[in-house]
Amino acid sequence: MIELGSVEFNQHRKLIITWSLTLLLIFPIFIVLGLLMRLNQGEVIHLQSTTFYALMTLHGLGMAGLLFSFSLAALAYLIGTRYTKISVQFGWFIYALILIGTIGLAVATLFGKFATGWYLLYPLAFKGVSWPHWATGLAIISLIILGVAWLLGCAHVVYALAGKYGGFHKLLGWQYLTRKQPKEELPPIVLITVVSLVPGIISFLAGAVFLVMNLLQHFEPTLAFDPLLLKNLVFFFGHTLVNITMYCAVAWVYALLPEFTGRDWKVNKVVVYSWNATFIFILFAYFHHLYMDFAQPIGLHIIGQVASYLSAIPATVVTMFGVIVQVYRAKLKWSTFPLAVLLGMGGWAIGGFAAVVDSTMAVNKILHNTLWVPAHFHSYMLLGVVLFIFAFLYYLAYGKEDHKISIGFWLFILGASGFLVMFYLGGLHSIPRRYSDYMSIVTGSAHADGALFAKISAFFIYTVLVGLLIMYITLIKDLLTSKKDMRQST
Amino acid sequence: MALTIQEYAALTSLIAAILIIAVVLFLIFTAKKYEDKEATKAKVYKARGRYFLFLTPILLIILVYSFQFLPYPQFQKKADVVVTVVSAQWYWLMAKGESEIPPEEFIGDSEITVPVNKTINFVLKTKDVNHNFAIYNSKGDLVAQAQSMPGYTNELYHVFTEPGDYLVLCLEYCGLNHARMTATIHVADPINEDRKL
Repeated sequence: MIELGSVEFNQHRKLIITWSLTLLLIFPIFIVLGLLMRLNQGEVIHLQSTTFYALMTLHGLGMAGLLFSFSLAALAYLIGTRYTKISVQFGWFIYALILIGTIGLAVATLFGKFATGWYLLYPLAFKGVSWPHWATGLAIISLIILGVAWLLGCAHVVYALAGKYGGFHKLLGWQYLTRKQPKEELPPIVLITVVSLVPGIISFLAGAVFLVMNLLQHFEPTLAFDPLLLKNLVFFFGHTLVNITMYCAVAWVYALLPEFTGRDWKVNKVVVYSWNATFIFILFAYFHHLYMDFAQPIGLHIIGQVASYLSAIPATVVTMFGVIVQVYRAKLKWSTFPLAVLLGMGGWAIGGFAAVVDSTMAVNKILHNTLWVPAHFHSYMLLGVVLFIFAFLYYLAYGKEDHKISIGFWLFILGASGFLVMFYLGGLHSIPRRYSDYMSIVTGSAHADGALFAKISAFFIYTVLVGLLIMYITLIKDLLTSKKDMRQST
Repeated sequence: MALTIQEYAALTSLIAAILIIAVVLFLIFTAKKYEDKEATKAKVYKARGRYFLFLTPILLIILVYSFQFLPYPQFQKKADVVVTVVSAQWYWLMAKGESEIPPEEFIGDSEITVPVNKTINFVLKTKDVNHNFAIYNSKGDLVAQAQSMPGYTNELYHVFTEPGDYLVLCLEYCGLNHARMTATIHVADPINEDRKL
C-alpha cells in the first residue's frame, strides 16, 4: 500500500474518469460501425464496398485499441493509487498520444477510405488499392503513434512495479516457489499485470518492426518484404494485444472481487505456476492464425495448437475456480460489480472454449476465416472484457455501495448473447468473415442464411445500444459526481 | 448420418456453453447463502483437482488424436490429378498440371473439371496479395481451404467424394471485390457418365 495525498489521488481519479467517459463515448460509436456492417450483410442497407471495408478496418482497430487502452489505464489507476507511484502526467501524455492515433485512424478510414482490415495483411496496403496514398501513410503513422503509446504505457507500469517489488523474477512470483515464505507479499494484480504487459511490450516491438517496414515501402514503393515474415509479425502483435486485454481485465478482478466477497485472494505457488505458464502461452499461441499457410514450418503450427490448448488449463483451473471460491456461498449481495464479473467469466469460458476448438488444426481447416472466428473473439470481448470493464466502471462510481442493477445491464446481456448466437450460426453455416455481403455465395442456402443471421443480429445490436443508453443515464452522472476514495481497500 | 466438422464444433461448443451457463446460474443462486471460506475452499479445491485430472489428459488425447487429420501435403496420399491455381485481385485462374510459368504470366480458366474420388492436388500461387482458396459444396458447406501467399506455393490436397458443382470463394480479405471472387469446380463421375452414354 502507498500513502497518497488527496491532491495526488484526485489527479489519478481525474485521469481515470476522463478515460471512462472517453470509453463510454467511443464504444457505442464503434458498435454502430459494426451495426452498419451487419445491416449491409443483411441487405437492409447498401454501402459501397469501399465504405464497408473502411468501416470494418476502423471497427476492428478501434475496438481492440480502445478496450486495451482502457484496460491499461484502469490497471495504471489501481496500481498508482494503491501499490506504487505511477506518473499521472505521463498518463495524460499517453492519453493524448492514443487520442491522436485514434483520430488519425478515423480520418484515414472515414475520409481517406483506407481499408486493409485491422491487420494490413502485407502487401495489401500497396496493391490494388482504391484509396489515396496519404490515407495509407496516415493510417500507418497513426498505428505507430498508438503502438508507441502502448509501449511507453506498459513499460512505465512494469518499471514502476519493478522499482517497488524488485526484479523481473520477483514480479513473476518466483520467490513463492522456494520453501521459505516470502518476506513481502506480492499482490495478484501485480503478478498478472506483469504477465500481461511484458509479452505486450515484446509484441509491440514486433508490431513496430511490421509498421516501420510498411512505412518504408509506403515512401519507397520499390521495396519488397517477405509476406510470411510480415504475417507472423502482425499476428503476433494483434493476437497478443487482444489476448492481454483479457488478462489485464482479469488482473483487476483478482484485486477487487475480494472486497465484495470478504474472502482474500492471494498469490501462492499454484497461482505463480499458472500465471508463469500463461506468460509462455501468450507468446506462442498466435501461430494458430497461420495454420492455413502451408508454407509455414509445421513445427510452428504444432507449437500454436499446443500453446492454445494448454492455455485453457491455467485460465480455468486457477482463475475460474478462484472465482468460484470467491463467490460460492459467500453471502454475497448481487450488485453490478460481482454480477458482471461472474457473467464475464462465463463469457470468457464460452468464447475460450470455441477458440480452443478453432485452434485445432484439424478443425481450423474448415472454420478458418468463417464467422466462427468473430463469434469466439466477440464472445470473450463483449461478454468478457467489456463486462469486466463495466464492473470496474461501476466500482469507480459506487465502490462497494449497494445499488440497483440497471435494466440496461440485462438488455446489454440479452442483446450481446443474441448477437453472438448469430455469429456462431454463421460459423456453423460456413459463412465467410470479412464479406461486405453474401450475394456471390450462390451455393446451397448460404446466401440466404448469411443475410438472415446478419439481419437478426442487427436487431440484437439495437438491443445492446438501448441497454447501454439506459446504463449511461445514471452511470455517467454518478461517475462524474462520485468522489469515492477506495484506497482503504486492497 | 456423419456430422461435418462445423457440426461437431457447434455441438461441442453448445454443450460446453450449456454447462458453463449452468455453473454460472448455480453460483448466482448459491452466493446468497453463507459458508465459511475454509469449508468452501476444501470443497472447491477437491472439485478443482478432479477437473484438472480430467481436463489435462482429455486435452492431450484430443491434441494427439487431431494430428492425424492435418491438411498439410506431407501427410497426404500421392495426387492423382494436379491443378495449378493462380489467384489475383479478384479472380481465380485454374489449369490442370503443375505449371512452372510465373503467376504473372499464367493462363487458366475460372472453371475446371476434376474426377470424383481421386486425390486432387491444388497448387496455389498468387499474382498480387494474399488470398484463400476455399471450396464450398452444393449444400453451402466449406469442405477445404488453404492460403495463397505472394512468393510462396501452398499445396492443398482434397478428395471430392460427391460429384457436382463446387463453388470457390476467397477467404482472405484481399481488397474491395473480395466478396465477388468466385470460381467453379465441376466434379465429374466418369463411370456414371460412361454408363449414361
